[in-house]
Amino acid sequence: MATVEERVKAVTARVLGVDLAGIKLQDEFRADLGAESIQSVELVANFEEEFGIEMDEDEALSVETVGGAVEYIVKLCREQGIEVET
Amino acid sequence: MRMILFDGPPEIRARFNPLAWSRPIWELRCGMTTLGEKIVAKVGAAEVACFVPEYMAEAYAQQTSMKVNDLATLGGDDLLLVNSQVKAHDFDVPATGPSEVGLNGDGEVIYARVASEDVAKVQAAQAGADIPCPVGEFLAKAKAVLPTVKCSAPTYRYIWELVLENPEQLKADFQAAGRCGIEGTVEQPGAIRGGKENIYVAPGAVVHPMVVLDAEHGPIYIDRDVEVHPFTRIEGPCYIGPETVMLGTKCREGNTIGPVCRVGGEVEESIIQGYSNKYHDGFLGHAYVGEWVNLGALTTNSDLKNDYSDVSVMMDGRRPVNTGSTKVGSLIGDHTKTSIGTLFNTGAYVGSMCLILASGAPLMKHIPSFAWVQQGVVPRAVSREDAYITARTAMGRRKRQWTEADARMWDAIYELTSPVREVAIRRGRRLMARR
Repeated sequence: MATVEERVKAVTARVLGVDLAGIKLQDEFRADLGAESIQSVELVANFEEEFGIEMDEDEALSVETVGGAVEYIVKLCREQGIEVET
Repeated sequence: MRMILFDGPPEIRARFNPLAWSRPIWELRCGMTTLGEKIVAKVGAAEVACFVPEYMAEAYAQQTSMKVNDLATLGGDDLLLVNSQVKAHDFDVPATGPSEVGLNGDGEVIYARVASEDVAKVQAAQAGADIPCPVGEFLAKAKAVLPTVKCSAPTYRYIWELVLENPEQLKADFQAAGRCGIEGTVEQPGAIRGGKENIYVAPGAVVHPMVVLDAEHGPIYIDRDVEVHPFTRIEGPCYIGPETVMLGTKCREGNTIGPVCRVGGEVEESIIQGYSNKYHDGFLGHAYVGEWVNLGALTTNSDLKNDYSDVSVMMDGRRPVNTGSTKVGSLIGDHTKTSIGTLFNTGAYVGSMCLILASGAPLMKHIPSFAWVQQGVVPRAVSREDAYITARTAMGRRKRQWTEADARMWDAIYELTSPVREVAIRRGRRLMARR
């Protein structure tokens, strides 16, 4: 099974239309990957679908980096009883 | 004698949403004035007080000279409590007389006339349980201890009825106002069709050249300080409120446009409450639009189905309500903004404080308040903080102030509308991710 980091990067690449290989953990969704506010909402929706979790909207939209998203999703998966590879 | 305006219980008030989320029903418009103004004029009351839902009392008190939710007004004088849904034209109850409670066929209180000597008896009576507000309790007690009579005065049952009755009400209100003639400026060349006795242009209003005022089928009332730009065509019956600007508008029959609006494009048989912008092209028909709404360029609503069947409206997001009419457009709540090219379905319910991005296709029939609409779904709520900043800016541009009381009222509305919105968000995110 792919790790959370790999899955987060794959979703990010697909939604934002950026090169998967070029995505780094420290990349900011807006500044480095060009996410508009509209795409931020799409990312939240796709992360929820990918991991089978529910995200608090304000918390989710306050995550700025890819690494931050990985940490946040790992935390949510633990809280919501979803098994993932870390 | 003191008149007291009251709305029906919450389940009745809900039929006038999304506009009624942020105002009592009597502040809604039909014809040239609000329902409350018509009732006050009909009763001839000099002193008027009112009761509104507690969450909006503080904000509403800032906008009215009436005493709001003041328990002291339920005593100390002869009282006439009037349900704001009543159609004033047909309300022929004498303001003073013996105490009685007028009920409609469903047992709803349409009015309660309480002579001052009976007030103590009413207040001392026992009310039933689960009565949510002081005036509701007072009415329940009055119903229990005073004689009841059947009241046949008709009432408005749903918000779209105001739109459907607007053309006839405009004609009646124009006649009641008793004004005609040009007291403002009508620049030439222009064209006036129909009798000039059916046109009134108030002082300060300016009608530019190349404007057609067509009063052949109904009167046109252009209120003070209105500006009508060239190539506007206004068909009567029509009312244009103070300080509104018409921008080359194709203004078809039956429109009420409240104060301080900017209106372009094509508008037909619609009510715009006030302070809203529909600056650009796009069709608005059989619609009721709230305050501080901005409709982006080419925003268009359908008001007629292709099969000419009755239009239904999803008032609560769950069950459709058959309007019994083949023509009903959008119901759009206060502070909602649409992007360019937004398309609303026939009989669309669009909540307050929404942010709507066009999807290229007609949007869903029910959009909850504070919904962020994107790609035809609701994937998130509008941030209250951002919405309030925008509201403060929009109101400031028209010399109106956004207050902390407004914020508290809208906080309450956010909570009240949360369950329906949360369902829409969960569904919206699933749909968005699976595309």
